[in-house]
Amino acid sequence: MEADIQTHVAFFLTGRRPSEHLDAVDGLELRPALFAGYRELTQLRYDFPLVLVADRADKLFVQSLSGLTDSALGVAARGSEGERIRKHVLRLEQEIRTLAAGGATGTFSALWDKAAGRLAKGADKSLEDSLRRARAAVKVDGEVADCDAALPARLLRHAWSAVQKQKCEGFRKDLDRLVQKLSDILKADFERSEAGRSAKHLKASVGTGYGDAFDFDAMSRLLAKALPKDEFPESRRRRIRKLLAVLGAQQFFPSPDAAAKKAAAAKPYSFLFEHCADALAAFRERMPKLIELAKAIAIAELEIDGQYSESKHDALFEQFGGNGLDPQDLAPFPDYLVCVNAEKMQAVEHAQLMEILSSGLPIKVLLQIDDILEESPNGEGSLTVGMRSRQIANMAIGLNEVYVLQSSSSNLFQFRERMLRGLTYRGPALFSVFSGASAKASDLPPYLMSAAAMESRAFPAFTYDPSAGPNWAARFFLEANSQVDLDWPIQGFAYEDEQHQRVSEDLAFTLVDFVASDRRYARHLARVPREKWNGSMIPVDESLTRERKGLPDKVPSLLMVDANNVLQKVIVDERLIREARRCREMWHSLQELGGVHNSHAEKLLARERKAWEERMQQEAEAHTAVAPAAAVPTAPAASAALAEASAPAAQEPERSPDEAYIETARCSTCNECTQLNGKMFAYDANKQAYIADINAGTYAQLVEAAESCQVSVIHPGKPRNPKEPGLEELLKRAEPFL
Amino acid sequence: MNMMSATECLLQMSDEHFELEDYQSGVPRWCTGCGDNAILAAVQRLCRDEGLRPEKTVFVSGIGCSSRFPHYMKTYGFHGIHGRALPVAEGVKMARPDLTVFVNTGDGDCCSIGAAHWIHAIRYNMNLTVFLHDNQIYGLTKKQASPTTPIGTKSNTTPRGSYLEALNPLTVTLGVQNVSFVAQAVDWIPELLFDIVKAAYHHKGLSFVRIVQRCTEWLPKAFDPWMHDPNKVQLLHHENGLQLSAGLARIYKNQLQHDPSDINRAREIASGSDSMPVGILYRNPDVPCYEDLRHSDKLRTPDLTRAGLNAELDKYTVWPQEAKEKVA
Repeated sequence: MEADIQTHVAFFLTGRRPSEHLDAVDGLELRPALFAGYRELTQLRYDFPLVLVADRADKLFVQSLSGLTDSALGVAARGSEGERIRKHVLRLEQEIRTLAAGGATGTFSALWDKAAGRLAKGADKSLEDSLRRARAAVKVDGEVADCDAALPARLLRHAWSAVQKQKCEGFRKDLDRLVQKLSDILKADFERSEAGRSAKHLKASVGTGYGDAFDFDAMSRLLAKALPKDEFPESRRRRIRKLLAVLGAQQFFPSPDAAAKKAAAAKPYSFLFEHCADALAAFRERMPKLIELAKAIAIAELEIDGQYSESKHDALFEQFGGNGLDPQDLAPFPDYLVCVNAEKMQAVEHAQLMEILSSGLPIKVLLQIDDILEESPNGEGSLTVGMRSRQIANMAIGLNEVYVLQSSSSNLFQFRERMLRGLTYRGPALFSVFSGASAKASDLPPYLMSAAAMESRAFPAFTYDPSAGPNWAARFFLEANSQVDLDWPIQGFAYEDEQHQRVSEDLAFTLVDFVASDRRYARHLARVPREKWNGSMIPVDESLTRERKGLPDKVPSLLMVDANNVLQKVIVDERLIREARRCREMWHSLQELGGVHNSHAEKLLARERKAWEERMQQEAEAHTAVAPAAAVPTAPAASAALAEASAPAAQEPERSPDEAYIETARCSTCNECTQLNGKMFAYDANKQAYIADINAGTYAQLVEAAESCQVSVIHPGKPRNPKEPGLEELLKRAEPFL
Repeated sequence: MNMMSATECLLQMSDEHFELEDYQSGVPRWCTGCGDNAILAAVQRLCRDEGLRPEKTVFVSGIGCSSRFPHYMKTYGFHGIHGRALPVAEGVKMARPDLTVFVNTGDGDCCSIGAAHWIHAIRYNMNLTVFLHDNQIYGLTKKQASPTTPIGTKSNTTPRGSYLEALNPLTVTLGVQNVSFVAQAVDWIPELLFDIVKAAYHHKGLSFVRIVQRCTEWLPKAFDPWMHDPNKVQLLHHENGLQLSAGLARIYKNQLQHDPSDINRAREIASGSDSMPVGILYRNPDVPCYEDLRHSDKLRTPDLTRAGLNAELDKYTVWPQEAKEKVA
């Protein structure tokens, strides 16, 4: 026993594998025990394959095969035959999945027909009936895409095209409106001109039916007399023609009648690129044209509204776009899409990618990573699990204004809305996707590899959306990862032991499990024959939490299964454990960004808790020390607040009863006083009366105005001229209004 | 709130600013002391403060004293036919949704001959601002009872006093499906009149404002009880409605906090007879506007217009050839 443990520890520390105690794992076709259930993916119902639905720019732009089947069944599989239809359709779904996994391509409907054809051989009539009824309930169609190396680019391009198409429709509609309205202005101008009122033109506009009923020469003479005096300025005519030319010649969106004109219309630009440098160059080259178009649109809006004034706007628009355009102005125009593969990326390309991301330009980049367990370029022994590929996404987050989405292929369907959000984000976006399709790594299907990468925290999924809010809590999304608050996700695992008894245990899926499925890392693993299993072999996650002092007495081990699904135990060397520890640290920092186990928050919480406990303690002590009769003094804050609340509202100026005045704010503009004496009483800017000149009239007029005022807001005060006749009577009449 | 882009700023930079005079057209021919003058002043003030471009603003009216309103506004106007101000305004709005459309109508114009149009205009809820100048009498034709004339009022058509209870325009409006904004103002509190007119303008949908308006010529004493006793006027205020100034609050002690989103309470307040409510009774910004429901994305080109007109006219065309064939 002792010898066994020593061998294991030696392997753990050095990676040396003496042949009599430990086996090499090469050729044993081992895979992590948790993969046992995923041997035949086509038998399972999961998100893939996907159907890339045409002409949808909302979250339904992609749908899963099982989702589509379920919704079809929801409609078709009802009543007494429901169960039969369900069975048939699920069989068909499996057949389609098998076809797709076998590399079949085509639309959903084509694959449906193909699969139905295969099933129909030797089947009875009821199958045909079931499939026909379910088929009628499927309302969408599109290309079928399985989880393979091409998926990330295919899916993103599909989403991008849908978004661009929607943009194009909106832009087109706007453009057509502008062209129509501008042409209307020119047309109206022509109709008012001499040529427009010529007999010939008038005749042409009446048409053939009643041509003889009119004397067009006389009509033309008559109309010519009534030609408008105000000339349509030639400069405006020229400006509108120029606008029409710019709008007509734009190449940013395809024009619907381009096919008809062919040579006349310039070819629309392409916005799809395979190199960052090309995209950047194209963007810069097209910038002047883009500014010209944006400017034309702005001026056209003013023209149509009749608001363009040469004296004001000419100068303003001269420098238009001198500082480039801001993201909002760029928003209606197409976004650029660059699809690059991390493996093929050279240093120059890398630098250009960073330039794009830091430039704030509306360029979306797909960075596809096929292999995250690649050998380090530094040479033997140095592992760089996920480092090279992950660093770009992390750097992009650091740039603060880049939409960043990192995900495995397997999770892309769940991230479909986030993909759209990235594509509609006004600014650069980086989609860093691990495809899992590296032939070098293993023979496992890409779906399983990519799912394992995400599950093992080797390639966690997250998004960073700068438009979602001002802080990390709003912008950073980490919840797509399973059991996000744990270091490693825990899954239940059940197997049969030698006595045919069912055994269940919880297994953590760690980075080591993920790496163990990669054949290039076989030398870091060693199978322990069943008779040598012992208590010093502990699970990897447990080993990671242990602090080792001195010589190790426990060795980390993995549960794996071979090709026959027989359970095997494999011990791991320290190199991988070190890597797993680093992976866990990186996951911790992501957790902090995502608000899980946030150290700042925990520190604050601890401080507050301590303060609270101290306060409670003090109160408890005070409570026991002071006799119950002692009154607790309270601050008389309430009365102060009350006084503040009852502070007097805005005061009106104090008036002397001797002074004549009008409560202007209450005047109802009834014209009584102003008609009585338009010099004495006048209206202010809000058309409410005030005394403009007290000396412009008599006291008698003041009193009369006060009496006739509909809302009694005129106060005549005391007479200024003591010699005015009839003062005594006037004073009496004025009394109610003082 | 989204930030404005540089281009949007540029487009608005040279917006014109207007003075009250830019909206004034001629001297009103209303009697001196008429409450319509107060309404005109408030509306002109609104146009100036909101910077409404005169060439983009339309006032539509029917027939009556109030309906002379468009003549006194230096904007576009349509002095329509009796009772048909609302249909005309709806047509204007449908064809030109970019215009700001106001409607001025009177108690005779709206509540009598135009009652059917009134009901349906409320239901269609197009984005119009409607002012019902309610002086409770036919003034232009010299004192005949209108639907809102209080019972017992002697007039040329009711020399022994009118026999019927007056119609309450507020309860009628609040009873119609799709109602979205109902308020009441009085011409003798100009500050509130302006606030209410402004709130009505800012509401998207049909905003119906009944303005109680004095007729100094034919019913000079009709509103004296309310004018002389501020406690008979009940001011409605709410954080989502109007806020009262200190000055108003001092004079008008009879105040009621009323949430304009509560239609049942609004109906109760409108039906009460104790005091005259002034303020926003009901407001629901979520009722859809008919012009939005029927909005077409199609660009209205001359071809489209011609095709539509031809299709319409073809319905009434007699085709001699076909007729002959039918006979044969």
